[in-house]
Amino acid sequence: MKAILTDTTKCIGCRECVIACKTRYKLDNSIPRRWSAEDGLTARNWTSIIERPDSKYVRKQCRHCIEPACVSACPVNALQKNKDGAVVYDSSKCMGCRYCMMACPYGIPRYDWDRQVPYVRKCILCAEYISDGKQPACTEVCPTEATIFGERDELIAEAHRRIKANPGKYINRVWGEHEVGGSQVLYISDIDLSFLTYGQPLGDKPLPDRTASAMHAVPYAFVGMGSLMAGIGWVIGRRMKNEEGGKDKPEGEENE
Amino acid sequence: MNRVRNFKLILWMIIGLGAAVATARFMFGLGAVTNLSDRVPWGLWIGFDVMSGVALASGGFVLTATVYIFKLDRFHSIVRPAILTALLGYIAVAVGLLFDLGLPWNIWHMMIYWNLHSPLFEVGWCVMLYLTVLLLEFFPVPAEKYGFLSKIRGFLTKLRLPLVIAGIALSTLHQSSLGSLFLIMPYNVHPLWYSPIMPVTFFISAIGLGLMMVTFESLFTGWLYRREQEVDLLERLGAAARWVFLLYLAIRLGDLAVRDQLGHLSGGEWQVKMFWFELVIVAIIPTVLLFIRAVRRSAAGLMTVAITGVTGIVLNRINVGGLVHINRGETLYLPAWTEIVITLAVIAGAALVFLFMAERFKVWEIQPVDPDADPIKMPEFHPVDSSWLGKPEIVARTKYSLGFIIAAAVGFALLSGEPLESRGVDPVPAQQARGGDTLWIDGNLDGYGVEFLHVRHWYRSGSGESCVECHHMNLPLDRNSGCYHCHSDMYLPADAFRHDWHSSPTGGKLACHECHQKGVVRAVESAKKCDECHNDLIPSEASIEVEQYMAVSYADAMHHLCIDCHTKEAVPRENPDLPRCTTCHKGQRDIIDATVLDSDRRNLTGKRTLLPPIHQE
Repeated sequence: MKAILTDTTKCIGCRECVIACKTRYKLDNSIPRRWSAEDGLTARNWTSIIERPDSKYVRKQCRHCIEPACVSACPVNALQKNKDGAVVYDSSKCMGCRYCMMACPYGIPRYDWDRQVPYVRKCILCAEYISDGKQPACTEVCPTEATIFGERDELIAEAHRRIKANPGKYINRVWGEHEVGGSQVLYISDIDLSFLTYGQPLGDKPLPDRTASAMHAVPYAFVGMGSLMAGIGWVIGRRMKNEEGGKDKPEGEENE
Repeated sequence: MNRVRNFKLILWMIIGLGAAVATARFMFGLGAVTNLSDRVPWGLWIGFDVMSGVALASGGFVLTATVYIFKLDRFHSIVRPAILTALLGYIAVAVGLLFDLGLPWNIWHMMIYWNLHSPLFEVGWCVMLYLTVLLLEFFPVPAEKYGFLSKIRGFLTKLRLPLVIAGIALSTLHQSSLGSLFLIMPYNVHPLWYSPIMPVTFFISAIGLGLMMVTFESLFTGWLYRREQEVDLLERLGAAARWVFLLYLAIRLGDLAVRDQLGHLSGGEWQVKMFWFELVIVAIIPTVLLFIRAVRRSAAGLMTVAITGVTGIVLNRINVGGLVHINRGETLYLPAWTEIVITLAVIAGAALVFLFMAERFKVWEIQPVDPDADPIKMPEFHPVDSSWLGKPEIVARTKYSLGFIIAAAVGFALLSGEPLESRGVDPVPAQQARGGDTLWIDGNLDGYGVEFLHVRHWYRSGSGESCVECHHMNLPLDRNSGCYHCHSDMYLPADAFRHDWHSSPTGGKLACHECHQKGVVRAVESAKKCDECHNDLIPSEASIEVEQYMAVSYADAMHHLCIDCHTKEAVPRENPDLPRCTTCHKGQRDIIDATVLDSDRRNLTGKRTLLPPIHQE
């Protein structure tokens, strides 16, 4: 499984990754709009550099979760995880419900709010390039090797090696190793990266598991409710028939 | 029948307004008519039209269960309107969804691309199937009128029980699955609302809402058509509903206790207040009122309960649907007027179809007379002697058409007020200059400004009484003149030249006259050319000739301007490092540690200086 490791201590904030991404996918200039979020990601910026106090720079992009909430949420399979693990988007399937945007724990997918034919837009890990054995545009151009591409287990090992080699510098945590089941975009940093989520700390449980139990109950609920109703109807119908014969006290109040 | 006609006229006008907004929605995209954003991708149209619409239409399955399963035949007279309300409710949901979906023409994709993990997929399918069931359940009613349909009608009547059971089972699924939709967002939905049993609470509240909606619909149409209101039946429904609400209340609070979230209830955040407000009008007020017999027996009392209950559960759906999502609303989402208009127009359309059906088919035991069936048509002049016979009454249809057209025109007029294609570009708020002897001018508050030395300006414009050259230039409402009155080029589009840096005492330390000639209006044309000072700007062996230094913006100026040429030049000069950031930004960032640098060095690297805020007099 491929992955990206971003070491925020090496980032100089030059935004070459942003420009490379825009060039590769021919994305327009991004004008600040009413609907843009403050993190710089838009339908035309699939990665962005967030500037933190003291000249710290953090690159934001899709995490390509191992068990992605967006893929599980999409009702028409427009979002899929391909064999390399990239979460890719098929615009010909999408119907524009934006459930993926709601479901993503990192709030990554963006929307073409100003277009008549709008699509969901986000980083796709340069899927067609990595399947050819090439690199994503962002890691290819990074001048300081702050963001690198490779096999996920190797990058996790590298991340731990760097933290171990320089324990005073890094926070002892590899972001993306375990959160919501782990992701293929990993971070090591000297600052806390919790601002990349909605504020609450993410647990390790994959998000699709949360709906799975409810979804498994669906056939049982359907058959159960159906037979319950059929049964009740039959019993009450029979009792009413019997009463008509036996002239009992009027029934009905207790059934309300 | 004026009441009905006026009501219909209002409905037609709302639809007219909606037609104008709908045009804008499909011409300019969602961003043009909604306040949705990348942070708040779901708004009123999902929270109300879809989430609440489905719940509001739950009267259909609740009443069919009551009558056909529990065999409480006395409710038979309100089953038909309940099924019709449900049918139209679901159609309204579908229509509302077409507005909200970005690609509505792909809505059928749900039928062929199956994702069994997605609750939305399940909701979609259940709604489609239940809509079919409702059509089949309701079809016998209009079929009564046409003899040739009697065979189909007879067949459907025989199928009624299986249809009713299928309808109930499907409703159970999708009413609860609307709750399952939010199970995947544990980190966004506020803990007072997020719960693994959301499917259950959604289902129970849908039953309560179904009962309340039947009550409301029955009382309202009774008032509209001056029909006798079925208060005795509704009283019994109310009696059942109080237990549903009580159960809902118990489950909501019990769930909070089990999840150990009761601590949240005492907080002072607005979400906590919202939670209490919602719970009070969803459950507490209706339950208490319904336990009072006098309330249950009066139409006004029942109406109050119905309206509170319906509002409460709708509020609950809107809350869960996006309003109380943590951190989504740093910028609070409030629906745009255009969003509200579309919502109302969809409801108005459904209401009109309801009235149309009720007037033509036997939806109620006693069919109301169609007020439009026999418009009074009188000739204005007698056909024989041509004497004046008085004004004929305007046919209701003409009134409706006129209302529709006028409302649509008003809608277009209101919409054209804003440039739709550019909507969403925020104007940058300008900030007044701060300071006394030295003004700090940083209009867009980006921390990047100009220092304006009063004394120097005063001196250079001739001292003495030259204050008036800037202050009191006899312009309307003028207090002091803007810089651009003298510096006429400062708002010219995008200039690569960093004027503020050149003139700032911490940067170029240049006095104005060092570049601009004295006695001439200060503008680009009259200033020194760049290469008059920067001899090394264009190397002698340069293959390119720089004529102007225009770029997209001040901030991008240097980077874009230089990097483009550097990239181009890298190949012929065989110097791959030419366009790299690191060519200028020497070394990696972890070598330059800001805390270790001495203060001189920091001043050089630190680009931004901000003066402390000074209070205005």
